[in-house]
This record gives sequence, structure tokens and C-alpha cells, in this order.
Amino acid sequence: MRSKLAGLAATLLFLNPLAAQYQTAVPGYRFEFPRDFFDHPGFQTEWWYFTGNLKSTNGRHYGFELTFFRQAVSRGSAEAATWDVKDIYLAHLALSDLDGQKFYHTERSNRAGPGIAGVSASSARIWNGNWQIQWEGADQELQAIDKQFQLHLTLHPEKPPIIHGENDVSQKSEGAGHASYYISLTRLAAMGKLEVNGETLGVSGLAWMDHEFFTHQLGADQIGWDWLSLQLEDKTELMLFRIRRKDGSADPFSAGTFVDARGKSTHLRADDFTLEPLAENWTSPSTHATYPIAWKIVISKWEIELEAHTALATQELAGKTKIALSYWEGAIHLEGHRGKTPLGGVGYLEMTGYDRPVNLAP
Amino acid sequence: MAIVSLQTVSKDYLTDGQPVHALDSVSLDVNRGEFVALVGRSGCGKSTLLNLAGAMDFPTAGRVMIDGVDTSTLNDAGLTALRREKVGFIFQSFQLLHTLTVFENVELPLLLAGKPNARAAARERLASVELDGLGDRYPHQLSGGQMQRVGIARALIQSPALLLADEPTGNLDTVTGAIILELLKRLTREQNTATLLATHSAEAAALADAVVRLRDGKIEEILRR
Amino acid sequence: MGRLFLFYRLMLRPLLLEPVRALLTILAVTLGVAVVLAIELAGTAAAGSFRASMETLAGDNDLEIMASGGVPEAVVGTLTALPYSIRISPRIEDSAVIAVTQQTLPLLGLDLVAESSSWNRSESPSLGSAESFLPAEDAMHFLESPDSIWVGASLGKKPGDQVRLLINDQLREFTVRGVYPDSNGNESAIVMDLAAAQRALHRFGRVDRILLKVPEVPSIEEWRERLRAALPAGVEIRAQGSGTDENRRMLAAFRWNLRLLSYIALIVGAFLIYNTISVSVVRRRPETGIVRALGASRGAVLTAFIGEAAFFGLAGAAFGLPVGRVMASGAVKLMAATVESLYVSSRPGSIELNAWSVTLALVIGPGVAIVSAYSLAREASLVSPVEAMARGRREYMTRIHKSRDLWFALALGIAAVVAARVPPMGGKPVFGYFAAILLVVASALAIPAFADAILSRSSRWLGKILGVEALLASQSLSASLRRTSVLVGALSTAIAMMASVGIMVGSFRETVLLWMNDRLPADLYLRPAGAPAPDRHPTVSLELADKISKLPGVAGVDRLRAYEISYDGLPATLASVDLSALRSDHRSNFFSGRPTEQVLSQIRGADAVLVSEPFTYKHHVRAGGTITLRLGATRASFRIVDVYYDYGSERGTILMDRQTMLRYLPDPAPSNLAIYVTPHATSETVQEEITEASAGYRVLVASNRDLRTEAIRIFDRTFAITYALEAVAVIVAVMGVAGALLALVIDRRRELGLLRFLGASAGQVRKQILVEAGLLGLLANFAGLALGFALSLVLIYVINKQSFGWSIRFHWPVAVLLGAISVVYLATVLAGLYPAQVAVRLNPLEAVHEE
Repeated sequence: MRSKLAGLAATLLFLNPLAAQYQTAVPGYRFEFPRDFFDHPGFQTEWWYFTGNLKSTNGRHYGFELTFFRQAVSRGSAEAATWDVKDIYLAHLALSDLDGQKFYHTERSNRAGPGIAGVSASSARIWNGNWQIQWEGADQELQAIDKQFQLHLTLHPEKPPIIHGENDVSQKSEGAGHASYYISLTRLAAMGKLEVNGETLGVSGLAWMDHEFFTHQLGADQIGWDWLSLQLEDKTELMLFRIRRKDGSADPFSAGTFVDARGKSTHLRADDFTLEPLAENWTSPSTHATYPIAWKIVISKWEIELEAHTALATQELAGKTKIALSYWEGAIHLEGHRGKTPLGGVGYLEMTGYDRPVNLAP
Repeated sequence: MAIVSLQTVSKDYLTDGQPVHALDSVSLDVNRGEFVALVGRSGCGKSTLLNLAGAMDFPTAGRVMIDGVDTSTLNDAGLTALRREKVGFIFQSFQLLHTLTVFENVELPLLLAGKPNARAAARERLASVELDGLGDRYPHQLSGGQMQRVGIARALIQSPALLLADEPTGNLDTVTGAIILELLKRLTREQNTATLLATHSAEAAALADAVVRLRDGKIEEILRR
Repeated sequence: MGRLFLFYRLMLRPLLLEPVRALLTILAVTLGVAVVLAIELAGTAAAGSFRASMETLAGDNDLEIMASGGVPEAVVGTLTALPYSIRISPRIEDSAVIAVTQQTLPLLGLDLVAESSSWNRSESPSLGSAESFLPAEDAMHFLESPDSIWVGASLGKKPGDQVRLLINDQLREFTVRGVYPDSNGNESAIVMDLAAAQRALHRFGRVDRILLKVPEVPSIEEWRERLRAALPAGVEIRAQGSGTDENRRMLAAFRWNLRLLSYIALIVGAFLIYNTISVSVVRRRPETGIVRALGASRGAVLTAFIGEAAFFGLAGAAFGLPVGRVMASGAVKLMAATVESLYVSSRPGSIELNAWSVTLALVIGPGVAIVSAYSLAREASLVSPVEAMARGRREYMTRIHKSRDLWFALALGIAAVVAARVPPMGGKPVFGYFAAILLVVASALAIPAFADAILSRSSRWLGKILGVEALLASQSLSASLRRTSVLVGALSTAIAMMASVGIMVGSFRETVLLWMNDRLPADLYLRPAGAPAPDRHPTVSLELADKISKLPGVAGVDRLRAYEISYDGLPATLASVDLSALRSDHRSNFFSGRPTEQVLSQIRGADAVLVSEPFTYKHHVRAGGTITLRLGATRASFRIVDVYYDYGSERGTILMDRQTMLRYLPDPAPSNLAIYVTPHATSETVQEEITEASAGYRVLVASNRDLRTEAIRIFDRTFAITYALEAVAVIVAVMGVAGALLALVIDRRRELGLLRFLGASAGQVRKQILVEAGLLGLLANFAGLALGFALSLVLIYVINKQSFGWSIRFHWPVAVLLGAISVVYLATVLAGLYPAQVAVRLNPLEAVHEE
């Protein structure tokens, strides 16, 4: 439920009368792993998110984000040529130097071309140029190379994949198919190295993978969302999103998932939790959008109360042109309690639609 | 009839915007066989008078008649033709063409006039100025006196009715000058030409049939013998 | 200050009294300087500032990857996966013709999807400011439709406009989706997405170039080595823009020769300065004597005369600058035409009058003037005061040592023959030009003896035929032999240049005509419509070729395919052809002299090639050797079976069997078809059949004769610039004649005046001057033709051979030469008209009595 591609997708959805030829997310899909970690060309939009909190051997804290998007453009004639644009592959890469208070981000877009970008179940690989995820058994090798930094991580899943939503469908607005199939690996042990500004650091930490595919999503009066992934010290995880409506209220399709220490997931409906901003805001100097960068999370039925704060306020990926979506996505840390027991953790927060409404309606 | 007749001739020049009266109401007739000396200081108008008499220039006022023809009625071609037939010029500094031989210098007026048998005429004229056998020399191989003889031979080649000589002895020593004057006088008789001679020299004046004294563009006196 | 004042009073003020002559001298220098400057500027614009048109939108990349016939596209995938932070921009590069204007533009296929990721940062690698290029809302939609194009703003199109483009042999409608600014360095081009370009050009499996931007560390060279290791053998990685450098290198010889040619007008100008100063030295002998007697040093006299020359040089240079700038506009068109037809398609850059060109003009103007005046000034300074004041017996006490100079001339001539045999230096025929200069100097030294011999023998005889005026004219010329010699030298140098270039071009033309008989054996030729260029090879659809070969009147079709490649740092053409037995060459077209069939049988199907004559000179290869070519992904060696004569293009060509090429470069579309007609059909009817069969294709069918006519037309256009240069040199020389005659008239006014006393008419005086002009022209024509013949031998057998490597048969272009010489002669005589008029208007009274 997250996306930079939102603007692009919206345009295409709007312009492309062939959207009808794509499949939609409806109940009854049979998931199969590892096959479903990879691509689903029958759906128009698909994305893979890798986010995580890392700590270097010399004690510095980092957040990272590597995301791959696939947006179907055409499913035309059989006679395809190498450079035909059947899908656009977009990718974002960000590194948050939490102690150094620096935020690096970059992006790229490609077509499949002669092996430039793609997703392949047979070679167990998702890639966009030299940014890639290579499955080695259950583990994933993450590689991301940028002018300013390079990231090489091995991600080891400590829990099986979970499927969000009711009936394996993550509903986003009213109507059949206005939904996505949404898979997560919520606890990935990350280990590897980070090269930043010429320095090579050993790093380790926790990462999270989201994989979502769909054809339609938001409704016309939904203007943005706030999304969190929380990895708690008690080996449980939470995913929560709140869809914001034009009138400022939270949409009833807001939802979440709780994963217990053994990996069993529980769907959370909008009335199962509250997700409210605290009075701590950061205004972006480039987009002038004001983001609430601290949140209060309450799940009263399990007596969970948490506050999310970030060490780095400036984790905004600001688009410079009129059309490009600007959003905030960054590493957070959590403090609070479950019942009487103190509970902390780390996570990632994404906030969209603060500079202007996101248009992701069908 | 006079070969050349100046009738109340005036000649003005503009020099630096100032009119200069080179000649002022001069009247003079010269007949065939007459040897007339024109004397006076430098700038008194001698050369101007010679040029007018030779149809090289037109008077500002009055008439110049050469052999009965009024020069002011002629165009350039007519003047050229008149000069060719009637007038011979002799110069102080000889004015020979250094690139031509003596023969070629002498026959030049005939050649320019397109007349035949130039070489025979030249030979004859050279004989008359006592330069037989020097025809193939170049001017720089001659003495001053010889050069002036060439000049005279050239002036006579067309048997002109009028011979105009401007200081012909000015560049010669006294002895040679006297010989040249004798020669001119003799030729005036023999060829029956009218000779008008501008000169400073007393010897020349002594030889002349008439002496015309000019002063500030006017004829002061005419002495005839 | 005082010296300057003195200089003005004694040297410059007298010039004001003869303004026409001073102006003529200045004008001569002006033209000389202007021509040099024009060629320099135009050369820079047409060839030097030349940026390969494919560099349009190439951005700030460091390296590029190329391969003959295209880079296999898998290389792009390989590169993107490398663990380096490198920006990779694959490009499909070709050309398209705008149907309405017939303008040929680069057609660029860019990866607009990849570029789009940079759009929102306004740092697109090629396209600069993104928003001006793509209205982002519609970007993806536009990428999807294959008729989307983006064009340079200078085309005046706006988004939504329809443009019909001829691509290869297909005419299709495209829609302008956006425009990009094409002002600084970016040429106007047609931009498409890779997918659209690939389909429009049927270019599958290959891209033409991959541009790379690498990080700053390590060095670019180090990156090049690293990346080379990841690339297949046939692929070349080199500095980005190497194509531009290669083209510049290819054009260097052409520019160099043209530049040297332009100096001829300046040399002619030097003769005229020499003449002017020589008049000045002679006329001022008395003054020189007086100022020397009054205490001026020799150095002062030397400086004064050199100063006078420098004044002419400077004034000429000052006028030459703007004139050169104007002439450059014309020259650039002519040069661009040559570059376009012989070398590479390009549009000239703008003409820029920069510091270098201004300096050039300001140095060569006075420089040439001072050099040419030095010996005269020295001579003047060496004269003793007494000698100078004693007025010379003749005005022209010329110190000419005719026979000594003749010996010098002979020695220089021998030296020229030796120099002509020295091999080129750095690919440039340095010694060839040295030989030419030696010949010019030798001729200048021989001219006094020559002129004297002719004049002294002919003057009496002339006098008899043409009258006394001719005698006087001839005498006058031989009397002032130095002046005469200088004038004849100037004019004859110009004529010699004209004649030599005329002979060379004429010989070349004749050679090409002969060669075409052998090279164009087919009855009809077919190529895609659109202007041809040596570096563009649009293709004909294969289906059309097959269709034509099955037409009833067609006996056979040879398919030729050409690629623009880079060989050993220079652009070259790689071509393949069906080696059908239908070629019936009359003569052997090969160095070996073997029959055509015998040579062709050796390359049929084999890894063997033929190379063109210019190729052998550029790359120092010969028959029997081998060359290694990068073809697609592979590197392969080919045996050179023979060398063939080729006058079609100055760039080298490698020719192989079509089957051999297809093994390496599988694209079967031919660039040209040579069509043979059956004995029963006529080429006219077959041409009609072909025209009918090619409906829907945009191709041009030319008969054998049309093609020859066209080839000769291009040939003539190519040499237009040399004709223009000759014309200027001749104009300078003729102006010099006018100026010199004017001086002559003024110097001889006493003599001319005397003639009037002696009964010469105005007409006779005029005739004398005109005869002098005519005599000068005659002498110059004789000397010029002789020198021109010698120079043409140097041009054909040394300079051309060493710079371009063409074998040219000597041929006298009689009609052209006669025509040109007559025009020059007429111009010379006409140049005497004004001085003659001045002579007529002289007042004989003043002239004779001035002493």
C-alpha cells in the first residue's frame, strides 16, 4: 500500500483503456511460495519493498530502503522487440544516516530491455540495473550501488511469509477488486556491509519485505495514507495503515496486521486500532509539506500503546517536478508498553499526500 | 602671312586660388624664315607664350592662329594633327627617350603620325644636324651638344613650319651653346621655318632677326633687325 | 613622437597624393588577408568546430562503446549489471529526412524510460531540462505510441504537429510530442524512444552506441580498462566524442590543403607590396639622400621603408578582417558542400571571429608586407647619401642580376624536384608544398631574364606590327625590368595557381569519368530516397530487393550494404556486395592489374577483403596483408586480396563478399541495388517496372547515365571552393597590375607629356598603356602556364597523392585553361584602362616643365 509510483500509475490507469484486461485482487487466490515472491504480469502494478534498521560495527545507526516497482504499460502483440515497453521498472534507494543526520536517496526507471531490469522466478531474482535481490534458498542477497553509497546485505527470514487482509485480500476501498494481494516477510535478519563515502562498514539489523500486486486500489475521496511497519522487541510485528479522506477523517478501509512471535498473523480492522499523529511536525523546505513525524499507536484489545519517533526528520523523497509525488519514508524507533511490560522496537514510516492529494483511483 | 599669329592673347592661371596673369594682351606675328628670340626674366611668360604658339594650350582671351587656323576652333584630335604638321619642339633638357636609339627618337614624331619612310627621313635630318653615323646609339652615349642636335633633328623631322625652342642652350656650355644656336639659325633659313626661341642668352638674342622682350606677361619691346 | 611625425611626413603623406594606387595596394593585401581568414574561419565552421551530428544530445559522457555494424544489445544488459555506479545510455543512431523540407536530420533513439527517472531532478543525461522536453503527465503514454517524436526547437514545430519522415525507404507520419532546446551544440534532431526507433529502422538486436558516464575516480582510462574486460572482443570502448575527433582527423588534410591554397592570394599580394615599396624606394632616392645627409641613420631609412610596408600590411589586415568575415559566409557553404559530398554529413557551425583569427590577420598582413619589403628597404638604406642625391640617369636604376638569378632559379628548380620525392611528414605533404614554393621562387627569379629576352627580341617586331605605341610600350617595360618582373611574377603566380589547380581538377575529372565506366557496370541503380552522404547508409527493404530481382526484365540484382565504421582512429566505410558474375568490367580496376573475375573469386565467401586506394594511404596497408575488424561482438582478421581504385569518396572503403558480411552482421537489408537488365529488355521499360513495383517504398531509381551525370555534378560542386580561391588570387593580381600601371604612368608622366609635344594623340597614349598591360598579361600567361604545368605535376603526383592517395592520370583540360587564361588576359588589359585614362588626362605642359 505504498507508492512512489502512485502518480505514474494513476496517469496510466487514467489513460490506459486496457486496464480492464488486467486481473484484480479478489478472494480465492492460492498463494504458493517461493513462486509468489516474484512477478505477476497479469496485474498492472506490483512492488517490492525492502526497508530496515541497521547498526554498524562501530555503533552507528542507519536506515535503508530499496524498492522495486513494476508498472504494466502494454500487453500488446506477441511480436515483441527488445526495447518495447511492456512494463516500466522503477526503483528507489535511500539511506538514512541517523547519527550523521544525512539522508541520501536516488531512483531509476527502466524497461526490461536486454536484461536491464525485471523479475524472474526461474533465476529467483528481482533487479533494476545493479540494484537487485537474489534469492539463495530462503535467504535474499540484496545489492544496491549508488555514487555515494553501496549496500550488500544478506537477509535471512526468521518467519514465513504472511498474507495481509481478510481472505488473503487487502481491501483498500469499496468495491470488488479495489484491493491488492499483499505479502510480507516481517522479520528479516540483515547482515552485510555498507560502503558510504568511501568507508566500508560491517552492518547488521532487522529488515522487512513487502510485496504487493494489484490493478485498482484507492477510491476517489481517498487523498493519502500513513503506513507503519513495526518490529518489536518481543519478536512480534505490526503493520498498520491509515487511509486519509478528503474530509480529514480516517477511512474505514484502514487496516493492519499483527504477527506474533511464532509467525501467526491476525488481521486488524480500522476499529481495532488507533493511529494518531503526535504534535511533532516537520515542514519540508523544498515541498513545504508538513509531515507529522511522531505517532501514537494504540491497540486497546491487547493493551498495546506505543509512540513512534524518528531520529532523522528529513527523510523526505521530494520530487522536483509538478507531477512527481513527494513522500516521507524513514526509519523510526518505538517506545511504549504492552500491558505493564515496557516494549520498544524499530520500524519504518511512510506518509503520502501531504504536499497534495495522491490520485490512485481507478 | 604669319605662320603663327598671337592676337591680343592673355593667359591666366589659377595658382592656389589666386589668378596669375601669365600673359597680358600679347600680340605677335612670326613669319617663315624668321628667327625670333624671346627674352625676359624667369616667369615673365616665355614658356606660356611658346606653349600657346605650339597649340599645347589655349589662351584665356584673344586668338592664336597657326598657319591661318584658329586653335580655339580645334578639338584635341585637331590640335594633335596641327602640331604634327606644323610645329616642332626643342627643349632645354633635350627630352630624349632613353630607351630608344637616336634613330628611334628622331623618327618618333613620324611614327606617331603614322607616316612612312621614317628611317630615311631620320637619316636625312641627322645629316643636317651633322650627326651622321650616330643613329644607332642610345642617348646616354652622346654628349650634351649631340643630344640637343638629336632634339633638333627630331623637331625638324616633319619639316614643321614653326619651330619652338625653350632655352635650347640652357643645359650646354657656352661654346656648344653657340654652335647649337648657329645650327638653329642655319636650319631656319634652309628649311624656311619660323623659329621662336625663348632664351636668357645674349648670344642668342644677338643672332636673332627680332628680339621680343617680355616683362610680367607683357611685351615690353620688339627689336627687329 | 618626432620620429613618428617624420615618418608620417616623409612616408605616409606622399601616399595621400596617390590615393588610388595606395588604395589598390591596400586592397590587394586586404583580399589576400581576407581569403586566408575566410578559409580559416570557414574551415573551422565547416570542419573544425565540426561536431559529429550524432553527438547531438550526447550529454556529458566520458566513454562510448561502438562496434562495426552495431553493438549487440546484450552488452547493455551486461553493463547495467556491473557493480559500478555508471550511467549507461544506449542509443540507436541514424538519419531521417523531413518529407516537406527534404532536410536530413540525425534520428536518435534514446532510452526515454531511463531518462525519465531523472526528469524530476532536471538532470536528464541528454535532454537537459526535462520539462521543456516532455510534458510529464503524458510521458508514459507517448512512450507507448510508436509515432511519438521529439524535435529540436529550431524546427519550429509544436507538440501535436504531424511530421512526415522518410526513414530508409519508408515514409511515415509521426507526431511531435515535445521540443528540446537545440541552440548550444545540440543540433536539431529527431528523437524517438529506443522502441520506436528500433521498429522504424528495423534495427533488431543491436544498438549503435552506448554512452557511459563514469565516476570521477579512478581515471577514465582506468574505467575504460575495467569495462573493456566485461565486453566482447568485437566491441570498442573509447572516449566519448571520438567520432568527432576522427572526423576532424579525416578532415585535417582537406583543411590543410585548402588553407595552403588560400595563402596563394597572399603570396600574390606580397608581390604587389614588393612592387609598391620598390616604386617608393626608387622615387624617394633623392629624399633618402637628403635625409641621410641631414643625419638620418641607415637604420632609420630601413625602418621608414619597412614602416611603409607595415602600414600597407596593417591597413590591409584591418580591412581584411571584415571582408574575410563576409567571404567566410560564402566559403563555408562551399566547404560544407565538399565535406558533405566527400567525407561526412555535417552542418557547418557558426562562423566566429575569435582572438586567434584576428591575431592571424594582424600578423600575416604586416608580416607578409615586411618580409616582402625587407630586401628593398635594406637596399635603400645602403645607398650612400651622395649617390642618392645625384639623380640617376634613369629612374629605374634597377639592380637586377638576370643571369645570376637564372642560375639560382635553376638550382631551386632542381631542389624542387628533390623535395617532391621526399615522403610525407605526419601524413601531410610538407615537402610537396615546399617543392611548390621552390618552384614559385624559381619562377620569380627566372622571370627577369625571361621578360628581358622576350621584350628585347620582340619590341622592334611588335613596333612593326602594332605600331610605334607597341614599340614604346615594350621599351618601357624592358627599361623598368624590375617592376615588370615583379608584376609578371605576381600575375604569373596567380595564373600558375589557376592553371595548376585547373589541370589537377581537370585530370581528376577525366580520371573519374574513366573510372566510372568500370565502376558502374549495371544498367540501373536503386537507393533509398533522401540526400546521400558518405557516412549515411539508409537501407532498402529486403522484400523490395527480392521483388525487383523477380521482375521479368531484370537479369540480376547486386545488393550492396555499407556501414559507417571506425578503423584505426579514422572513419571508414565497410561495404559488402553480391559478387555476381554479371559485372563485366572492361579494364582491371585493381592495382594488381588482374582481371576482375580472378580477383573476385578470391574473396567470394572467404575472410578476405578488397580495400580502396585511399584506405591504403590512410592506414598503410597493402595487398597481401591482413586487417582486423571489429564486427558486432567479434573480432576477425581478413586478408587483403587487392586494392581497387576508388574516386567516389576520400574516406577509405573495405569491401567484402555479401555472404561473408552476413556471417558477422546478419542484417540483410541492402543499402543500394545494382540492377542488370536482360538483353531483351530496355532499361527504360525496366525502370518503369521497378517504379511500379516499389510503390509504397521511397526509393530512387537512376539509370547508369543519370548516376554518372550526378557524380560529375557532385564532383564539380566539390571543387567550387578551389575555383573561388583561384578567382580571388587572380583578382588580386589584376588589381596589382592596375596599381602598378598607375605608378608607371605617374613615374613616366614626363615622357608621356613629351609624346604629346611630339605629336602623339590621346588615343596613342592610351594605346601605349593598354599595350603595356597586354604585354604584361602575355608574359604572365606564358610564365604562369609554364609554372602552372610544373605545379600541377607536384599537385597531382606529390601533394594529392600524399594527402588523399588518389591516382590521377595527367590530362590537359584545354578548353577550361584557354577559357580561364583568356578571361585573365582580358581582365589584365581592362586593368590598364584606368591608368591609361590617367595618362591621357596628364597635362603635358606640367609634365615636361616640371623640372
